[in-house]
Amino acid sequence: MAKIPITLTINGEPHEALVEPDRTLLDVLRTDLGLTGTKTNCLDAECGVCTVLVDGLAVNACLYLAVVAQGRAITTIEGLASPGEGLAPAGALHPLQEAFVEHGAVQCGYCIPGMILSAKAYLDDHPRPTEAQVREALAGNLCRCTGYQKIVDAVLAAASRMAGGAVAS
Amino acid sequence: MSRFDYHQPESLADAVDLAARFGGQASFLAGGTDLIVQIERGRVAPRHVIGLGRVPGLAGIEVNGRIALGARVTHRAIEQTPALAGPLRCLVEGAEVIGGHQVRNVATIGGNLVNASPAADLVPCLLALDGVVTLVGPGGEREIPIERFLLGPNRTARRPDELVTRVDLPALPPRAATAFLKAGRRRAMEISVVCVAARLALDATLERCLEARVVLGAVAPTAVRAHAAERLLEGQPVGGEAFRRAAEAAQEACRPIDDVRASAGFRQHLVGVLVRRALDRCVERARRAA
Amino acid sequence: MSTGTRVAGQSLPRIDAPGKVTGSAVYAADFALPGMLYGKVFRSAEPHARLVRLDTTRAASIPGVRAVVTAADAADVRYGAAVKDEPVFAADVVRYVGQPVAAVAAVTLEAAEAALAAIEAQYEPLPPVLDLAAALAPGAPLVHEGWRDYTAIPILQRDGNVCNRARIVVGDVERGWVEADHVFEQRFTTAMVHQGYTEPRAAVAAWDSSGQVTVWSNTQLPFDVQATLADILATVPSKVRIIVPGVGGGFGGKLRIGVEHFAALLARKSGRPVKVMTTSEEELVAAYPRQGTVIELKTGVTRDGRLTARQGRIYFDTGAFAGSGPGVASVATMVLAGPYRTPNLHLEGYAVYTNKTNCGSYRAPSGPQSNFAVESQMDIIADALGIDPLELRLRNIVHEGDEGPTGQVLSAVGLEECLRRAADAIGWPDRRPAPGRGKGLAIGWWTTTGGSSGVYVKINPDGSVTLNTGAVEIGTAALTGAAQVLAEALGVDLADITVISGDTFSTPFDFGAQGSRTAFAVGNACRAAAAELQRKLFELAAAHLKTDADTLELRDKHVVGPGGRVTLAELARQSQVAGGGMIAHGTFIAPGTAYDTKRVEGHAYPAFHSPSFHAHAVDLSVDAETGEVTIHRYVVAQDVGFALNPTYIEGQIEGGVAQGLGQTLSEEIVYRDGRVLNANLTDYKMPTTLDVPRIESILVEHPGRVGPFGAKGVGEPPNIEPPAAVANAIAAAVGTRITALPITAERIVRGLSRDEGDGGR
Repeated sequence: MAKIPITLTINGEPHEALVEPDRTLLDVLRTDLGLTGTKTNCLDAECGVCTVLVDGLAVNACLYLAVVAQGRAITTIEGLASPGEGLAPAGALHPLQEAFVEHGAVQCGYCIPGMILSAKAYLDDHPRPTEAQVREALAGNLCRCTGYQKIVDAVLAAASRMAGGAVAS
Repeated sequence: MSRFDYHQPESLADAVDLAARFGGQASFLAGGTDLIVQIERGRVAPRHVIGLGRVPGLAGIEVNGRIALGARVTHRAIEQTPALAGPLRCLVEGAEVIGGHQVRNVATIGGNLVNASPAADLVPCLLALDGVVTLVGPGGEREIPIERFLLGPNRTARRPDELVTRVDLPALPPRAATAFLKAGRRRAMEISVVCVAARLALDATLERCLEARVVLGAVAPTAVRAHAAERLLEGQPVGGEAFRRAAEAAQEACRPIDDVRASAGFRQHLVGVLVRRALDRCVERARRAA
Repeated sequence: MSTGTRVAGQSLPRIDAPGKVTGSAVYAADFALPGMLYGKVFRSAEPHARLVRLDTTRAASIPGVRAVVTAADAADVRYGAAVKDEPVFAADVVRYVGQPVAAVAAVTLEAAEAALAAIEAQYEPLPPVLDLAAALAPGAPLVHEGWRDYTAIPILQRDGNVCNRARIVVGDVERGWVEADHVFEQRFTTAMVHQGYTEPRAAVAAWDSSGQVTVWSNTQLPFDVQATLADILATVPSKVRIIVPGVGGGFGGKLRIGVEHFAALLARKSGRPVKVMTTSEEELVAAYPRQGTVIELKTGVTRDGRLTARQGRIYFDTGAFAGSGPGVASVATMVLAGPYRTPNLHLEGYAVYTNKTNCGSYRAPSGPQSNFAVESQMDIIADALGIDPLELRLRNIVHEGDEGPTGQVLSAVGLEECLRRAADAIGWPDRRPAPGRGKGLAIGWWTTTGGSSGVYVKINPDGSVTLNTGAVEIGTAALTGAAQVLAEALGVDLADITVISGDTFSTPFDFGAQGSRTAFAVGNACRAAAAELQRKLFELAAAHLKTDADTLELRDKHVVGPGGRVTLAELARQSQVAGGGMIAHGTFIAPGTAYDTKRVEGHAYPAFHSPSFHAHAVDLSVDAETGEVTIHRYVVAQDVGFALNPTYIEGQIEGGVAQGLGQTLSEEIVYRDGRVLNANLTDYKMPTTLDVPRIESILVEHPGRVGPFGAKGVGEPPNIEPPAAVANAIAAAVGTRITALPITAERIVRGLSRDEGDGGR
């Protein structure tokens, strides 16, 4: 079959690509569009490093066909921080990104983009989670470095900040 | 060179036409969490993939005594439907343990049923609820009870030119409760070593079982009802002796295998434990609801 | 926790965090070049066979394929850390399922995969050596017929399928048995496990017109890979440039050459850059996992619980090539001795060839396996003698000034404090707080690996400081720790420091990110560089401030004297204008640790340098019907010497324990008939958020003499004690003693029903 022209809306911006229908969203993001913030590993929906948001829902981009993503709003890690203003190189980090930095939740960092997006999707729906709920929400994101503890602490702290008050844990 | 041609029908009729045209060369694509994996691993090689994302009317949930679940209802939707949280709770329990939320957000009950993994979690729950599958093909619509729909590992009664459109669950009898339990080597992202879905309907005294369903997963080529166990429960006082005998009967009903996840012997042992616990939980829930 | 230090010892955010949380940090798996081809490796389908025919002609003519390489395209060399027994591609014999036989490069990954499918290989099976017992049986087939001819480290004791036997002998164990009132003998087994890094091994190679190849890779040891690759390419190391953009976890699995050689050979043949990346399946079939082991441990004790003698043998199934086996077998003997006073020792570690993937180094190599045996047996002994397990350990542990097993003198021994604090935190002595619930302890010691490190440190005219190091950041925040040491020494802030790392061309030599050494060694090299910079700064400042150099001090980004002060930025500017710039070279190598050479044989690691000491305590419940384990609390007390950055040390402890729990409860690479049955992440079961409890870290500080501010290596130790701690707690909880890893639910249930059959114990 000939390649299909698609327009993917990524972090609010339209990106055009010409793709074979069997290409995954993960591959198109990383190879065609140079957005390597979304990571590759098991290609089997077992590890979660490829997590992106599609219409606000976390999905494994490794099993999501690019043609199916057409017309949907895709969020990758590159879309979380606000862009810099004026001459500033970068804008503000998302509260989740800030919390991950502050709480020592980042070690090798390879699982982190997927982890942050999974957390964001969950917090956008459940602004005041318990620790148990945060762990459930992140169960599809493997981390080998941190043992998850500071990641969970960072998500709870970000939730507090985003909800404007203390979150019970 | 794409491995397959991709089609995006915008109506049920068009979807069925495509399936009729391509037959065994085509696969339907719902969430993709089984199909895309299998294509990537070279286990299946359809020449045509028929995406269902634009076909209307397949993703609804209707609850009015009976339950009708569209084939494209996701595991997430099941988790988040309050009406399913009561006596039908095993359905939510079966849905919420598969994969991570990334998988549950897109994986559908239709896909889960058609994939028919012997270790599927949702399938035993649908079976315990006497689910009936509706299929639409060129010849029209037909209905098959799930027990007859499942034929073997990854094999169902669906013909290549048919699409599963929904699953119907009859209304539960009064004083009924359900439970789903699973055993595995870790607490998430786990293919069941053994899973059990149970349903009990109690009498007015809440002391005696009127009707039972005991369904076992991951211990036979398909999810199976342990009919002998069910018969041993009906009419019996709940708890103790009856549950122990039913658990034993369930152990005899399973045909587990040795594999890298567990030995057959251990699976059989777990069936006994989980059946008893699932039945206890049903009683607890039925009594609490009353 | 830190007194008197401004930067070192503070829990400051790591310097590479912003790139990692925004997705802008580039890992080797992300790296790409224009016009790049994709490489894939064709691998053996047989565990042991003669390769009688290899035909790549069909593969080469698949559209999009630009190069095919086989043994003919590489120098006829063998490589290996201890024994040079491994070829790039099998030529006449294949020795494990997954061994590389050829590689292809194509314009797309799909074309490369199609080319693999078109390669024809014909094998004549040879008798496979499937496990340790088979390898060690008299008359066993040889995995390497030509083992005698291999170049190897001279001290190794090699014989047939044994690629090393390391030994420690102290006193006379026969006398020890006589002195003992009781002698205990147990056998333990552990499974092969994978490091489980989330970023696959990856390399992109590109040749330039001068015959130099640059390889971007996620290796932990760029200089080691540089040397190995130079041999394989039949060139000199200066023609091989290894650059490490970023590493997504290593844990020892990315130490040695992984895919860099395939990328380089394919790039040379095709004339285009080539990227090679492993799949999950390849990682679980053909990587450098932790060896499975069999351990036989015999220990003699007096009736009041004093150790009189220990005899131990640990056999490492190190697979088809020696890999790290010989060294690991050596380290094992140190762990088998344990941090205990034992007058008589006879400890042996064997590295054994089989027809499985060659095994390597994984975080505290030999540690978890050996410690599982030692610490499990200590509890068996305690229970048999009716002595509390904490008390038994306290009666035998080493203290300041005691000797280690090879005669080294131990100093900065924080073990007793660790043990008491961990036991206290877990609520000892209430060992069995409820039915089905129990607590377990395990202790251990470990090394801080030596090797040299060099850094260049430059102070820039804008006041910033550049740290140029050949070390690699693999996720531990070691380079942040080293930068903190540097900032402390120069009187600047961590935020003033930029780190450049991991480029064999432009960064000084570093022995590599292994053995918990990076913050320790690079930190000390920074101190050396800072001392030299201070000398230069004071020389300039003395003239500028018209005072003597010995009246000056570094403070607050200034050089301060009795009559005035000048900024480092200004001094750097002056130096740049008139003196070539304010830069210094700092180096460090740990002094050797004296030991008694007569006690060891075949031993590649006869002393633990700047040793750390640690104690783990766990409180858990066991569901006796399903065998499921629920951990309520997990406590670690670790003697870190000096906590350079407490947050990231906690991170190492939390992550190391999580990884250790995976090895303990759920992970194993399962072989049958020489093939891996579970080469995927569905069935290789690593812990998720729901499987790892909260871990409480107690950082104990007994400063060593060598490390920066007394720091010791911290990254590996947390991986060591989980198996024994958990096994001991399970025994306390339900009475059943599991002597095999992983301790699966099935093993627990079988153990319980076996005990019941024995009438209970």
